Amino acid sequence: MMKLNGELRTTFFITAVDVSARLNAVLKEAKNISLEAMNAKALVARAGENVRTFKPITDYMVELAYDTIQLVEEINTEALQISKSSLIAMQGEFAVSQFKKAKLNSRNALYRDSFEKPMLTAQKDSLEFEKNLTRHTHRLHDLLEQIEMRMLAANVVTSTSRLEAATVSSVYQANFEAIVEKFEMAAGNIRSTLKKCRKLLKMQRY
Amino acid sequence: MKNLKIYEGKDHEWIVFGRDAEKPKKIIDTNQYLIKTPREGILLDPGGIELFSAMLASIVHFMPVDQITHIFASHQDPDIISSLGLWDKTISHATLHAPWLWEGFLRHYGCESLTYASIADKGGSLKMDGIDLQFIPAHYMHSSGNFSVYDPVAKILFSGDIGAGFNKPDDPLFVEDFDTHISSIKKFHQRWMPSERAKMAWIERVRKLDIQMLCPQHGSIYKDENVGRFLNWLESIEVGSGLRLD
Repeated sequence: MMKLNGELRTTFFITAVDVSARLNAVLKEAKNISLEAMNAKALVARAGENVRTFKPITDYMVELAYDTIQLVEEINTEALQISKSSLIAMQGEFAVSQFKKAKLNSRNALYRDSFEKPMLTAQKDSLEFEKNLTRHTHRLHDLLEQIEMRMLAANVVTSTSRLEAATVSSVYQANFEAIVEKFEMAAGNIRSTLKKCRKLLKMQRY
Repeated sequence: MKNLKIYEGKDHEWIVFGRDAEKPKKIIDTNQYLIKTPREGILLDPGGIELFSAMLASIVHFMPVDQITHIFASHQDPDIISSLGLWDKTISHATLHAPWLWEGFLRHYGCESLTYASIADKGGSLKMDGIDLQFIPAHYMHSSGNFSVYDPVAKILFSGDIGAGFNKPDDPLFVEDFDTHISSIKKFHQRWMPSERAKMAWIERVRKLDIQMLCPQHGSIYKDENVGRFLNWLESIEVGSGLRLD
């Protein structure tokens, strides 16, 4: 496991909360998808048999929105953990560096070894937090990837929806096309935000 | 970091640490003190986070660091005690003696393992390995919760910011010419000490003690007649200059 250097560590705990803050936008879009899905369900109920092929699409939209919201909540938890662990690891590293400096400057001191134990404890704690940090960072990447996969699937669903919308009765066509467009825009915004988040994390990746 | 044994008695010693030539230029110079007995030790105002490694490296010339069983913080300022988090990791078994007023604040520096022994406003005492130390109230000199430490056997008073001055790196550790020394301490006391009443109360309190050395946290140490000269001088000046805003 490569060790984060001090400079990266300093910005990493900021990046983690930055990602968390950006994901608020994703949460907002997921809620928009959920709202559109509700509209679509109502429309499907009203239109009846004319638009029954749209029902699986609206069900999928609801599921997608729910999953996305759950994932964002998990990501926020991980991001906070990363920020905390990163900060503690940074403080631990500082403590270790101070002990090492004291060791260096006390070469001729009679009781030089008397702080060996706290120095080793500080090193052990620092490594432990680094392991935690790695674990949480990998998890964060996984979660972001999961949302991204869902958005890729949403792309496919959008194309299918467009085709379906074109076949419904003209009475409802405009409504369904509007729903599909909003769904497509929301999914696109989510993907754009995720791309930025991944880029931020990539710059810090180890 | 320079160090000097300023007292050696039958049961204990006082050592001062300071004038660290390698400290960052913009941080204020400070004196740190160690009282050492055969089995234990107490650090008085152990210093800021920037000085920790230098302090640790110096202390281990005198005693094993795990024999330090106590830390004293006169008040809450960072130059006195911002290294607390690191001492917390180094001597986690030790007890921190500090004003009750500042407990919630000092814990911000990191105090997970150390035991916090609050000192009540009226003061207190500590018996450590056969020696007695007294915590003398020094509130509003300058901090609103503040203590000096008196050792009746060594006849040393650790006075914290009282007696402090802006010393130059090559200034002597002990005050030599008191009249010249005034220029280093006058502005400090006029600005930092807020209360005439608190000043007089502290002077009255410590005049009852037999003091041969008055050891401040910044600047030079007062010895013998200079202790009396300092107290007389402090009595004569007006403090609280920050209130004069015109």
